[in-house]
Amino acid sequence: MSASPIARQATQSIPVRRVMLSDPSQLPNDYSTTPGGTLYSTTPGGTRVVYERNFLLHLRNSPLSRTPPSNLPNIPESLLKGSVDRPLLSPPKENGTIIPSALKKDQDAQDEQFEMDM
Amino acid sequence: MADVKSEERKDATELVGKESIANDMLIKHPLHSNWTLWYFEKNNSKSWEDNQREITSFNTVEDFWSLYNHIKLPSELRVGCDYSLFKKGIMPMWEDQANRAGGRWLINLDRKQRETDLDRFWLEILLCMVGEAFDEHSDDICGAVVNVRGKVDKIAVWTADGQTSNTVLAIGRKLKERLNLGNQSSLGYQMHKDTMVKTGSVTRNQFTV
Repeated sequence: MSASPIARQATQSIPVRRVMLSDPSQLPNDYSTTPGGTLYSTTPGGTRVVYERNFLLHLRNSPLSRTPPSNLPNIPESLLKGSVDRPLLSPPKENGTIIPSALKKDQDAQDEQFEMDM
Repeated sequence: MADVKSEERKDATELVGKESIANDMLIKHPLHSNWTLWYFEKNNSKSWEDNQREITSFNTVEDFWSLYNHIKLPSELRVGCDYSLFKKGIMPMWEDQANRAGGRWLINLDRKQRETDLDRFWLEILLCMVGEAFDEHSDDICGAVVNVRGKVDKIAVWTADGQTSNTVLAIGRKLKERLNLGNQSSLGYQMHKDTMVKTGSVTRNQFTV
């Protein structure tokens, strides 16, 4: 009668929206996104999409979560992990010879990881 | 004939059951809300608003982690910088319509806690927000801010309306529980309008948990 939310969820049909595509160009750029952003999961009653702490942490190291953000080029370099710390929008200091080589190393590491994901 | 069909169906069900764990790793899980990350970097030659930069928005668990996994932790930011994560459409400032009547649950962290607690608390609060851990009170969540400062770092959770005491208190109690703050430390909630006009260094608490 009073099944746990998880048990009730398991017996409920999952709402699906079907989207017809006529041309490959209508596919999302992102290979992991469904066309039209099809909804595939919801909470019982469909009122709120809730994620438990442990489930979120479980997804932290999934291949998708490790992929660099799709808008990486728009993220200030100084915010990226492993980048040299310097203020935004200010020219590199005199010791610039060290900074570029450190950045280059990071970029190579990221490229390598990205290729593995592909 | 019917038997064959039901057999097939059974096989298919078993297959789906086995694959559902792996599928968790292949699909993106949609979040209830869209979230925007903001980054503030102190630059005295520019206005406060110009120093506040919108970095990116996301609405899936995987895009949240992808961003989190690739940017610096709060403890790695320079002193004077902030991260803010707000629901999309709400700017991380008192003046925004969504924040005007609200306030914040404030956590002050001393210099030692930058190594031990700052990143841990910030992640926990992010998980509470994107996971909608405040249940029906989640609608009142506007966002959260972490300020990295010379003496006292701060983490604050902003809510929409300081008058809805049951919602504000429920959020405060949940934060205290999730951050595992014992009974010896208390959390204070301050109205933005009080913070704006404060004369001393301390704003009075509207609520305490």
